[in-house]
Amino acid sequence: MNKIKNQFPVLEKNKDLVYLDSGASCLKPKKVIEKLLEYYRKYPVNIHRGVYEMSSKASEEYERSREMVAEFIGAGESEEIIFTSGTTEGINMVARGFEKRIKKGDEILVSELEHHSNLVPWQELAKRRGARLKYIKIKRNFKLNISDLDTLVSEKTKILAIAQVSNVLGTVNPIKEIVRKAKKINPGILVVVDGAQAVGHMEVKVNELGADFYAFSGHKMYGPMGVGVLWGKKKLLEEMEPINFGGGMISEVGRDGSSWAKIPEKFEAGTRAVGEVIGLQEAILFLKKEGFSLDKEKRIIRKLKSKLSQLEGVKIFSALESGILSLVVLGVHSHDVAEILNRKGVAVRSGHHCAQVLHKVLGVESSVRISLGIYNEEEDVDKIIEGIKEVKRIFKK
Amino acid sequence: MDDLYREIILDRYENPKNRGKLKDGKEALEANLMCGDKIKISVKMVKGVIEDAKFEGGGCAISMAGVDLLLDKIKGMKLSEVKKMKGAEIEKMMGVELTAARKRCAYLGLEVLKKM
Repeated sequence: MNKIKNQFPVLEKNKDLVYLDSGASCLKPKKVIEKLLEYYRKYPVNIHRGVYEMSSKASEEYERSREMVAEFIGAGESEEIIFTSGTTEGINMVARGFEKRIKKGDEILVSELEHHSNLVPWQELAKRRGARLKYIKIKRNFKLNISDLDTLVSEKTKILAIAQVSNVLGTVNPIKEIVRKAKKINPGILVVVDGAQAVGHMEVKVNELGADFYAFSGHKMYGPMGVGVLWGKKKLLEEMEPINFGGGMISEVGRDGSSWAKIPEKFEAGTRAVGEVIGLQEAILFLKKEGFSLDKEKRIIRKLKSKLSQLEGVKIFSALESGILSLVVLGVHSHDVAEILNRKGVAVRSGHHCAQVLHKVLGVESSVRISLGIYNEEEDVDKIIEGIKEVKRIFKK
Repeated sequence: MDDLYREIILDRYENPKNRGKLKDGKEALEANLMCGDKIKISVKMVKGVIEDAKFEGGGCAISMAGVDLLLDKIKGMKLSEVKKMKGAEIEKMMGVELTAARKRCAYLGLEVLKKM
């Protein structure tokens, strides 16, 4: 076992497991699990409430996570980091928080490759406000047609919501260029980036992207479940309306009205997943120590693509820009492919991967997705190919 | 592995006996949330008894074979009896034991009939 794999208890226990579903959730390193246990064993109390020592310790650790996240993603100040339950919640917070900005006839721009989490909140916002949803199309090489931005963006465009990395095609969208083009036409446009598939695999510096909001999930960067981050520019966060009201987010509460706390507390009503937020520290330290795996993942995916191309009847959907590739074995449903791979110890995702609009564009109902993480190796390619050959044998394709 | 993809399942997947649509039949549709696959069933009833049944839609071998075998079984049954059927009966017809995820595939046809 290599020095990466042996940091993951689940891989130690399942030596033959080929895990190819990091796009859904990354496996969790020992250190992350230990940090969670440290919280639950040593100071399992609420934050920002008690003056007693244990509560201070929990609060300190929680705020340390905020500082570490800010530094990790290149945020200006740690108060620009809002802890959420995940990417979906972060995006919904922005969609609701700027609702009043959207007027009838306005436009919201998304792309065809969006995950439902960065599509449905905007669809709903458009419906509520009488706005129109427009799409940046994908090209035959599975990259976005950026040149269409010139005609798609106008004064009417209030929001541009886009993924940094596609969860189905592995496309790495040129966010900087997209933001520059969009803001040149309309400087007032709010750019919201879904970074769920990016943060755990490549260096992300939000201050260099030019976007206004960036949302991602802890569990897709080797961290705990149930915690995510929304980063936003300070000025915009101050302007954004909170969507959850209650404890911890107020400044003063009167009988008939209340005022809000400053950011970030304004957006963290109720009790967050404190232990999980604290566990995120170790995910960051893990990535800093081991480095980002994008290049290695890309190498494996390219090797996989070339081997798959030698098989007949396999359709491949990937821009080959990250560790994600989706495929269809013609005449065989994706569930059946995944089932047969599963029986060979290969874990892949089958279905529409929360991207039904994209699957319509691709002209297939569903697909099999291979998404890599830091623990994957070139040998995994052979396992996949063996599995696909078995699928073809069983289904006589 | 060949247990799951037994000949009967692969055969029903490739050559279903009950694929199609019945004119003026009672219809219902249901989707598998996991993959978005949809099955639509139309049934023709005479005095509350199912005389014929057909299905449309696409899906995996398990869901397609499951619905095709189910439609064989329900002919001659009352719809009210069909609605009381348990998923396990479908597994029995298929001659396999399924994992929780695949049960959703196999039971999809029955879910459609229950909506009628």
